[in-house]
Amino acid sequence: MTIPVDIAQTTVEQLAANQAGLIAIGAGLAVGLAGLGSGLAEKDIGSAAVGAFTEKEELFGKGLIMTVIPETIVIFGFVIAIMLLM
Amino acid sequence: MLRIPWKRKQGSKSYAYLCARVRAMKSKLLPKEDYPRLMNMEVAEITRFIEDSEYKADVDELAQKYDGANLTEHALNQNLALTYRKLLNISAGEAHSMISSYFMRWDIWNIKTILRGKRFGASDDEILESVVSAGQFGYHDLITLVQKDTPEIVGILEQNYPLTDYSEDRLDHFENVLDKFYYEELTGIEAVRNPKSKSHRLFSEMIRTEIDIINLKTLFRSAKAGISREQIIGMLIPGGLKLNMITLKKLAGIPFGEFVTSLKDYSYWEPISGIATEDMESLIRVEIGLDKYGLEYATQTSHYYPLSIVPIMDYILCKKNEVDNIRMIVRGKEVGLPDDVIRSKLVL
Repeated sequence: MTIPVDIAQTTVEQLAANQAGLIAIGAGLAVGLAGLGSGLAEKDIGSAAVGAFTEKEELFGKGLIMTVIPETIVIFGFVIAIMLLM
Repeated sequence: MLRIPWKRKQGSKSYAYLCARVRAMKSKLLPKEDYPRLMNMEVAEITRFIEDSEYKADVDELAQKYDGANLTEHALNQNLALTYRKLLNISAGEAHSMISSYFMRWDIWNIKTILRGKRFGASDDEILESVVSAGQFGYHDLITLVQKDTPEIVGILEQNYPLTDYSEDRLDHFENVLDKFYYEELTGIEAVRNPKSKSHRLFSEMIRTEIDIINLKTLFRSAKAGISREQIIGMLIPGGLKLNMITLKKLAGIPFGEFVTSLKDYSYWEPISGIATEDMESLIRVEIGLDKYGLEYATQTSHYYPLSIVPIMDYILCKKNEVDNIRMIVRGKEVGLPDDVIRSKLVL
């Protein structure tokens, strides 16, 4: 098997830099995709909460709590991102 | 024009907001437990009681003009119209089009009220007190209509409604024609005739169940009255869910006892099995049983499909039922009916 010339010529520092870059992309994807997932979940819960407390103001607190529950998904993504970066 | 494939139509399928809001509105309806309390009150007390609930603004507004049972009745009517109009205002897309098609029933109701009022010489104000502007006709459209004479009203309406050759002597015939026209129009819309989405299918099933219930009531009444088969078939509405025209024609025109026995083969027998007998005198309990079945069907289906048109339809039916129940109690109290008679007519 022949090793491509450009890889054969890369230094250890360059490989380390590439790895760090890939880790950063992974961390970014973990937070970003988890954020998108939370957004999708919160969209319907949020609009339902607004609908409910428009009619009954006392439901504001409950609605707010329900709306932020999917935020936990982002926290998981955030934890993974930190673990990757550490 | 550039089309973005993933762009969502605004409000077309977003039932979360509407259903949550409607559920919150439903939670403000009078609970079942309040009805025995209402039964123990006088008309003035009932008015005060409903003034403490969702009807406050309507009672306050109309208190200078009316009193007693009339005040309660007008407050209930006004509140019903405003609630239905509110549903139209807060809905969008698919839900809005289905709700507005369903509310065409109030246009038919208003046309019938105006024509009946004109026929029996009621004043414009009296007619306007009985209309419910929950359909396509706004209150101002109705005022304009009421101020005209019957031929002028018919002239305006016959473009869109089957009032050709209208004559005041055949008012009952035209009332039947209008009712039938409403259901024909409703079953003719795309969502009911050819449902493609889940919400359309559920809406279609609800409408067609309602048609079944109306047809069953017609069959019960006509079997009891001994009307001829041809006349009965003329009154039946096509498009039912479980009772198609062939089945209905089989059931039409047979003697009452035989009719009740044949019903045992159909699924609608279950809600009325404990009530309907071959030799029953009054049909009130059967009709209430069927109405109750319609309400329970809507409520149960709304639990299975919480994000669809069904919770909204369920609310529409429950609100109408609440208004009807309170009206029955108030009117019953006003004419001095015994409590058990009033209670037997409530749909709870």
